[in-house]
Amino acid sequence: MTKVYVGMSGGVDSSVTAALLKEQGYDVTGVYMKNWTQDLPGMRCPWADDLADAKRVAVQLGIDFKVFDFETEYKHKVVDYMIDEYKHGRTPNPDIMCNQEVKFRLFLDAALADGADMIATGHYAKVQDGSLQMATDTSKDQTYFLYRVTREALEKTLFPLGGFDKSKVREMAEDRGLVTARKKDSQGICFVGQIGIREFLSQYVEQKPGDVIDKTSGKTMGRHDGAIFYTIGQRHGLDIGGGLPYYVVGKDMERNEVFITTDLNDEAFWQPTLDLADVHWIDGQQPTGTLQIRVRHRAPLVDAEIESLESGVRLHIPHPERAVAPGQSVVIYQHGVCLGGGIVTGAPVLSEHA
Amino acid sequence: MLSKAKLRVTTISSVQARAKTVILSKVNTPLFYLDHAAATPVDDRVMAAMQPYFSDAFFNPSAPYAPAIEVRRAYDEAKRTLAHCIGARADELVMTAGATESINLAFAATDGHVVTAAIEHHAVLAATQKRPHTLVQPDERGFISADSIKTAITDTTTLVSIALANNELGTVQPLRAIAEVVKQVRQDRLDRGDHTPIFFHSDASQGVGQLDIMVSRLGVDMLTLNAGKMYGPKQTGLLWANSAVMLSPQIVGGGQERGLRSGTENVPAVIGFAAALSLATKHRKSEVERLTKLRDALQNQLTEAFPKAIISGHPRHRLAGHLHISFSGLDAERVLFALENRHVYVATGSACAANKGTRSHVLEAIGMSPQEADGSLRLTLGHLSNDENIAEAGKMIIEELRREMERTGQS
Repeated sequence: MTKVYVGMSGGVDSSVTAALLKEQGYDVTGVYMKNWTQDLPGMRCPWADDLADAKRVAVQLGIDFKVFDFETEYKHKVVDYMIDEYKHGRTPNPDIMCNQEVKFRLFLDAALADGADMIATGHYAKVQDGSLQMATDTSKDQTYFLYRVTREALEKTLFPLGGFDKSKVREMAEDRGLVTARKKDSQGICFVGQIGIREFLSQYVEQKPGDVIDKTSGKTMGRHDGAIFYTIGQRHGLDIGGGLPYYVVGKDMERNEVFITTDLNDEAFWQPTLDLADVHWIDGQQPTGTLQIRVRHRAPLVDAEIESLESGVRLHIPHPERAVAPGQSVVIYQHGVCLGGGIVTGAPVLSEHA
Repeated sequence: MLSKAKLRVTTISSVQARAKTVILSKVNTPLFYLDHAAATPVDDRVMAAMQPYFSDAFFNPSAPYAPAIEVRRAYDEAKRTLAHCIGARADELVMTAGATESINLAFAATDGHVVTAAIEHHAVLAATQKRPHTLVQPDERGFISADSIKTAITDTTTLVSIALANNELGTVQPLRAIAEVVKQVRQDRLDRGDHTPIFFHSDASQGVGQLDIMVSRLGVDMLTLNAGKMYGPKQTGLLWANSAVMLSPQIVGGGQERGLRSGTENVPAVIGFAAALSLATKHRKSEVERLTKLRDALQNQLTEAFPKAIISGHPRHRLAGHLHISFSGLDAERVLFALENRHVYVATGSACAANKGTRSHVLEAIGMSPQEADGSLRLTLGHLSNDENIAEAGKMIIEELRREMERTGQS
């Protein structure tokens, strides 16, 4: 019997994943990955309920259950990476790093070392012959977060939910009486928790007041408490009252200046080319021909042409998506297959002010 | 979804005779509650006593008009009732928001060295950590000997704090003998002209309604009580201190409770507390008898099914409703979750077996191995327990233990 270790988070998706695999005849072990969280002294640790729910489901299914402790590695590979990227003025995606470094590397290796033949997660994605394909439920498709996973890892991975709609998954959880059937989906970055990214970052980065400048007029419009807290395209958090909504259109990290505009047609929002570094191709080959790209989770797929650069690739985008910030991932598809992608380069500096 | 289900009490019967039938959510599901040491349901008579003081008689007892004065009278009467139940005077009581506050207030009465036990509740241990202290180790039954207290007391010791009964094991401590030790130390100090005070405090949160809590017979100088563990409201407690103790207020303000605990009196809660303690005192003998029978029956049922099971706690000095049972190598938390699905609610020896560092300090202190501690269930009986539901709970516990043992290939 194939021995599968299922990453169980205590949510409905991974609960159904474990249930389905058990029904399909696999020898299933549930594993809760203990990642890094900020433990506030004297407070109940926030992940305790999730761990308990994961274990509850394991007990309901009558499967083995283990806890893998990746706290140190997760802090190093995901949290520190995220903080460091923000410090450099970029907008990283810690979920992508978590999949690359923790779930499909540390967890996979630990599971195999513990006797597993394969791993499984509750991601909405499909694997076929080591290629990563979009989920049937396109609104839930999570391949965007998985583009940096290696082919070797994918070959040892099962995504049993890839063919189901989310509503069907909840229904299957209800049918099986799983205690997580009606649990709310988790939102945002897990380790940041309820406090929000800004408050989280401010514990690690010194607040440094600077000017908020209207890009069009060059006029100083107000003050901010650190350019790193701002991301291109962002609307909220600017302490300026009244009138049309302002959006962050750029920032100068060296001078700690944030540029804003009311003009959504500003060229900085609609980049016809994007340069990517740290490019990862799942099958090791840079694709050719007409491609489609996605600039953030759930963003529509848009057409692009690819050009090789010394340090990565350049994408030419006839109909660009709004506000892609340096540090974000652009994921590349062809015929519903996720081929890989890379990280948007460039310092977030406006040329006319630099 | 169980955790969010509302518990609604529908039928009411006497404390002694039958346990309450409880409706879980909309489904008519019987409740098998074996965690009375964690929380107790408010008795209907207690609820009835409290009810008028939430609405009709809502007045501030410090207000000068007639209806408020009526409330003041009722409040004072409740405190007299509470004092009467422990053989004390009402003006020696300070009402607090629960036992933890009462313990903190007791500790603030002195500074200097503290002697307490390694198996005390976290409220006592945390207050102890702030001071020079000695932790006395219990024996393997969780029993604290008076001799070990005697050895631990130094010339600077100002406080000895030992709970009346341990919340995990149910072991009842020899307070009287410990009080004699403290008294002797006090006398010796006076004889040599040393005026360093020494007081004996006990947290009696567990065991009210099962044990004699007359302060003169316990021999304590301070006593903590907790309404939430005796079928009264939560966040309601008191500290009794004899006249030799100079309490130091921790919460200041309007000067209520003789200036020792400011804040408008929690009138309904204190009235409920008095009703709960009166009932507990009145029915103590018969309830102890009833619970002992039920507990012994459950213990026999389980040990017959599992001869290798380990029963912890003192064989004789143990709370009537307490049963602590361990199965080495078992993951008790899995059994807890399996039982939860069948509406059987129990406690385990660790908050979360997979998580290091949360294993019970009590089980560690009595020398239990991690394998046994992780395989421990604490079953505590009380008003909601009766012959039928305990027998049936026992059956389900045995079934789930078997299932888990078979799954892991031990049995």
